[in-house]
Amino acid sequence: MKTLLMTTAATLLAGSAFAQSITVGAANISDYLDPGRDHSNVGSQFYYNSFDTLIDRDHSKLEPEWVPALATEWKLIDDVSMELKLRAGVKFHNGEALTADDVVFSLNRMYQATFAPYVVRSKDRLANFAEAVKIDDYTVQIKVERPEPLWETLVSLQQVMIIPEDYTKALSGDPEVAEDGDFEAFSLAPVGTGPYAISEFIPGQKVVYSRFDGFWGDRAPLEQATVIRIPETASRITALKTGEADIVTNIAPDQLDLVNADPNLKTEGSATALFHVMIMNVNHPHLTDPKIRQAMSLAIDRDLLNDALWLGKAIVPSTHTMAEMGKLHMPELTTFEYNPERARELLAQSSYDGEEIVFDAYPVYYTNGVLAAQAITEMWAEVGIKGRVNVTETWTGASPDLMARSWSNPMYFADPFGSFGVMWAPNGPSEGSGRFNTDAEYAAIWERFRFSEEVEARKAAFVELMERIKQDPPVLPLYRPFESWGMHKGISWAPQLGHIPYVLDFRAGAIALADS
Amino acid sequence: MTLYVLRTLLKMVLTLFAIITLVFFATRMSGSPLDTALGDGLTEEDRTLMIEYFGLDRSLWYQYLAYLRGILEGNFGQSFIERRPVADIVAERIWPTLQLLGSALALTIVVSVPLGVTAALWRDSWIGSAVMGLAFIGYAVPNFVIAAFMVLIFAFSLNWLPVVGNGTPWHFIMPTIAMSGVLIAALTRFTRNAMLDVLGQDFMRTARAKGLPETVVILKHGLRNAGVTVLSVLGLQIAGMAAAGNVVVEAIFSWPGIGELLVSAAIMRDYPVLQFGVISVAFAVVVINALTDIAYVVADPRTSMAKG
Amino acid sequence: MTATTNIPSRTPLLLTLWKDSNAIQKAAVLIGLALLLMALLAPLIAPFDPITQSLISRLRPPLGFERYKDGFYLGTDELGRDVLSRSLHGLQLTLGLALAGACIGLLIGGTLGLLAGLRRGWAENVIMAAVDLQIAVPFTLLALLILALFGSSLTVMICVLGIAGWEQYARILRAEVRKITQLPFIEAARASGGGQRYIALTHVLPNIVSPLVVQFTLSLSNIVILESTMSFLGLGVQPPTATLGSMVGYGRDYMPTAPWIVIAPAALIILVTFAVQILGDWLRDRADVRLRAR
Repeated sequence: MKTLLMTTAATLLAGSAFAQSITVGAANISDYLDPGRDHSNVGSQFYYNSFDTLIDRDHSKLEPEWVPALATEWKLIDDVSMELKLRAGVKFHNGEALTADDVVFSLNRMYQATFAPYVVRSKDRLANFAEAVKIDDYTVQIKVERPEPLWETLVSLQQVMIIPEDYTKALSGDPEVAEDGDFEAFSLAPVGTGPYAISEFIPGQKVVYSRFDGFWGDRAPLEQATVIRIPETASRITALKTGEADIVTNIAPDQLDLVNADPNLKTEGSATALFHVMIMNVNHPHLTDPKIRQAMSLAIDRDLLNDALWLGKAIVPSTHTMAEMGKLHMPELTTFEYNPERARELLAQSSYDGEEIVFDAYPVYYTNGVLAAQAITEMWAEVGIKGRVNVTETWTGASPDLMARSWSNPMYFADPFGSFGVMWAPNGPSEGSGRFNTDAEYAAIWERFRFSEEVEARKAAFVELMERIKQDPPVLPLYRPFESWGMHKGISWAPQLGHIPYVLDFRAGAIALADS
Repeated sequence: MTLYVLRTLLKMVLTLFAIITLVFFATRMSGSPLDTALGDGLTEEDRTLMIEYFGLDRSLWYQYLAYLRGILEGNFGQSFIERRPVADIVAERIWPTLQLLGSALALTIVVSVPLGVTAALWRDSWIGSAVMGLAFIGYAVPNFVIAAFMVLIFAFSLNWLPVVGNGTPWHFIMPTIAMSGVLIAALTRFTRNAMLDVLGQDFMRTARAKGLPETVVILKHGLRNAGVTVLSVLGLQIAGMAAAGNVVVEAIFSWPGIGELLVSAAIMRDYPVLQFGVISVAFAVVVINALTDIAYVVADPRTSMAKG
Repeated sequence: MTATTNIPSRTPLLLTLWKDSNAIQKAAVLIGLALLLMALLAPLIAPFDPITQSLISRLRPPLGFERYKDGFYLGTDELGRDVLSRSLHGLQLTLGLALAGACIGLLIGGTLGLLAGLRRGWAENVIMAAVDLQIAVPFTLLALLILALFGSSLTVMICVLGIAGWEQYARILRAEVRKITQLPFIEAARASGGGQRYIALTHVLPNIVSPLVVQFTLSLSNIVILESTMSFLGLGVQPPTATLGSMVGYGRDYMPTAPWIVIAPAALIILVTFAVQILGDWLRDRADVRLRAR
């Protein structure tokens, strides 16, 4: 029992030798690491430490403020082309120098994707991007199909982070050709230009970041950061207490007091840029009447859910919008609200005949997901809807039998196109799964929302889209969940406003350890 | 004897073949990897693309024959999710599981055999009753309950013991105890019953009549003979129970073992990992069974070839 | 029948059993009866509906603690449901599932074992090969995989619990049947023209009742633990319905702050398995002639 046994002794020893090392206990760790094919909430934790985009933003600010990254300057040369000057002297973790070839290779692997996982990923957000062309060793041009209102935003996406061409191509088969096997091998041995090299990666188990001394920007504050997987909440908190982890992810609101009660520990959290949503299948035979779905939505007291399950720390939106969206943040719209009387009225007018409505939920994927599902069916019962929870690992969102389920609409990038737009586009993931319908009119509005050059025109189109959603609802955003990280008091780290959800940013300025 | 070994081997191979076939078809009947989180948000078009990517567009029989052929060539396929050979993945995971199993079995034997012998020798006194009472309680407490409460007390409240993974010997304490609880209860009872059986046998009386000291009689003759029975039980039931308790204990202690891997592979429909994992576990059990069968025959010729 | 001395005796009258038992066994019987009664009467004695939530009174402690909510004697859970009511209904479902599972196992394993013992030949070979197969994969692992693959629902759960342990019945029955059919009185019955089925029903079955009862009781506690384990891992019945195991599983995250959610169901699991184990062991001792002879 002395000195908390050996672990602590070992930690102390290690601590003095590498004062700048930490261990992070994460609920989940990716099974592969390739910023291009990934857009999961699990994956987004890992890329920013090791990869760079051409253009970056100041992540401490909510409003986008573009800063040079691998490109030092960029300008539009006509309506559909952007020319970027690359930073000289940038090295990949394996020592290769970054040139225009690497950039063109990285971008075109997404823009003109042939590898199935890239194809899937690039369609929903990069469809407008035609190709990247090398002008000289340090100049590239990016061409789009139609004038692009979101240039910087879409050039700073995680999916278009830069990877080395020669290294990747040589991973399997012919070293001159990019084959599927190369991309598969890359995702197990990823190499980038960021401040930390990934020195060890055991899929699903462990990611070790080591400071990369050849980094072009500010020196990484940590010598090493090891992320290990601790799937159970109770174990993560215990590991924080025993000192096995310095930071742990995904602390549920119910557990915050427990962590904060320990004098050595604290929590940091924020309402993450992501909506937990309820989706409803507009094509299910029992739900084709919009009034039923309106009633299902109006019956849910999201503020009560927030107070009870999130201690009031989540954000309940009145429409599908987030503060991150800057000028397109439109909290003044009321697309979604709680009104049980109206729900009962609508239900009475509707074709609803007491059928059981099944609400599917993943067992652990979303914090409080199963609890919220159970509470929602209780709220339905209040207005006369018979609901049943079905907890399942199966993704039922593409099944014709789907009635309602929990899902999330993350903000993939800071624009309504990056959350509502990706998910609810004509022929997007929702319509493509058969639970949402669009028509020519919707598509026309969506086009104006996506491509109008004037912000006001985009806003006007978004208002129209929200009205369509309100009249024939396929989705209800429940709240922006309040996600928390627990850590030792000596660590200064907090989620930053300008990131997409869940990014573990350990770059200079983002994390500091108290001198001990 | 050779014939017996050959028969045992043949049975082993047939059992494994049947398991491979069952697992192959059962997993494919239960849905595709695109019915899990992997398919989250894919359009119909995307799904077709991904199904081709996973090689699931071929007919079931083609896939099955290709899989069998792969096995014969020593190629068990690639994980759908991690895209690396399943043999690598399972190899990474099976060692921690074996370590934990080993330490749990060691603790079980060290504790149960003396307890069982004690309970047999003093079966009519309060000592015997107390030991058996304890054994019943041990049997009644599920390992997840032991584990959860140990974590609460020794890690969460007292910070004495680590809870994540298998890094140091200290990491073994709680998982080993959690896994051993039920095993100790079971083996204590088996040992007691085996001892009781032996104590009544003629050769024990003969040994005593020869004037050997009681300790020698019990240890040399009694325990050695009871050991044969205990051994067979250890191989079959105990190993099975240990493998089972494993999944829960691994989950609670974030132990990077095979149980947790298999359950998540099943959930994600990562067929190649699931298939190879189940085959590996079944192989281990079948081999242990065969070895104990043979050891049993060797140790006790009376059972001879008459069985099975 | 001259052969009866070699055959495990039939279960004597309950009264004799009670008199023969020791204090622990008597306690086990009483605990078992009490649990059974609680389970049967759960809908009557539970003070609240087990799934009615009250989000504003979540995580209230039991009687005697600060913030106790009147009437909720064992406190409330993470959705403000009554822990006592959930435990009682959970006990009912856990016992119901275990009994259903054990009966199905007995039926399948018993039939196959009987068949293997009486028929011999290829039928026996196939059945015993299946038994070997079942033994080769640790059952909890198999059960977990089935539930993970085919989804957790009451039906799948009952099927899984039903196939748990069938191989034990099959093995026991086959061995017993083989032993019995070699005895003189069966030969006599066969010689006097009794058909296969007739012999099975009138001569074999009565003589294998006690090993079956013993195995049934022992497997019952294994099934309770199996079901609890599955439910603990979140692979059991669907919420809001609860079994004892799922209450422990879902409540685990709250153990440091609201241990009452876990303590009641955990204690009930332990009591159930403890009582059933003692009973099973006692029945085995009684049924086993060799042991009793000492």
